[in-house]
Amino acid sequence: MTTPSAHRLNPLHLMAAFGTGGLLTLMVHFNGELGRYGNALFSSWAAHGTGTVAALVLLAILYPWRSRSEGAKPRAPLWSYLGGISGAVTVMLTSFTVNSPLALSGTLALGLAGQVIFSIVADRWGLFGLPMRRPDRRDLAAMTLILAGSALIILFGRGEA
Amino acid sequence: MTVPILFACLAGVLVGVSRQVNGRLSLSTSPLIASFWNHVVGFVALSILGLSIGGLIPAGAAQAPWHAYIGGSIGVIFVAAGSWLIARIGAVNTALLVIGGQMVSGVALDLMQGVSAGLLASVLGVALILAGMALTQRRR
Repeated sequence: MTTPSAHRLNPLHLMAAFGTGGLLTLMVHFNGELGRYGNALFSSWAAHGTGTVAALVLLAILYPWRSRSEGAKPRAPLWSYLGGISGAVTVMLTSFTVNSPLALSGTLALGLAGQVIFSIVADRWGLFGLPMRRPDRRDLAAMTLILAGSALIILFGRGEA
Repeated sequence: MTVPILFACLAGVLVGVSRQVNGRLSLSTSPLIASFWNHVVGFVALSILGLSIGGLIPAGAAQAPWHAYIGGSIGVIFVAAGSWLIARIGAVNTALLVIGGQMVSGVALDLMQGVSAGLLASVLGVALILAGMALTQRRR
């Protein structure tokens, strides 16, 4: 099953993804502040703990509106519950690399490269049970522009952050 | 220098793996439930790590202002949104648009805090990102 990406993106999805990037900036900002009072491990540990509580509160609030179509959904494989392990290892790796000669900008730039290369592979082969997608020429042009802009900001724009 | 470079690239790959795996879980449950499991499992993994190497709760933690502790709640929405999006627009679009949003809002945050180092490069970078986003919106 290959989803043709020829049709334009739903603008709502585009704005949601762009806004999600804004949430990431806020999250990194607050977690970074907590890291300065403690350390990177504590900051991430506390964020996962408070996040667990926040998720439970949200689930309780939204309980009356939960989806009723349980029967129609495929069963979740056991490994799909382990995404958090990947996040925990990411914290360990980046708290090492920001203190290496790479510093924050190098960590961000190489992390961006790793993320984009993985996402291309993931879409191409539909990794981890998600739909396959093939990029067209316009997708590649958009990718080039966004990556070039991000590299400029990371390497020359935000100074010695 | 090879090890830090490999680690930094691997960290990026793992951000993608995590979003892909959470996206798969959200197909069978819901984005918020996927985000909940992501946080519980990450919390357990980091607790084990912290207890084994020590120093999990550093002395300065109690002095941190309350707002330093709201990153985790923002993260719940962030993970849920990523899980919802990746099943709809794919991994590449999700990664690129989230990165674009992160960069543009990061520049905005710098400006609000009065940091104007590298302003020219930042403005140029924001322009390129917005042009890339506009390109994904153009009808063929």
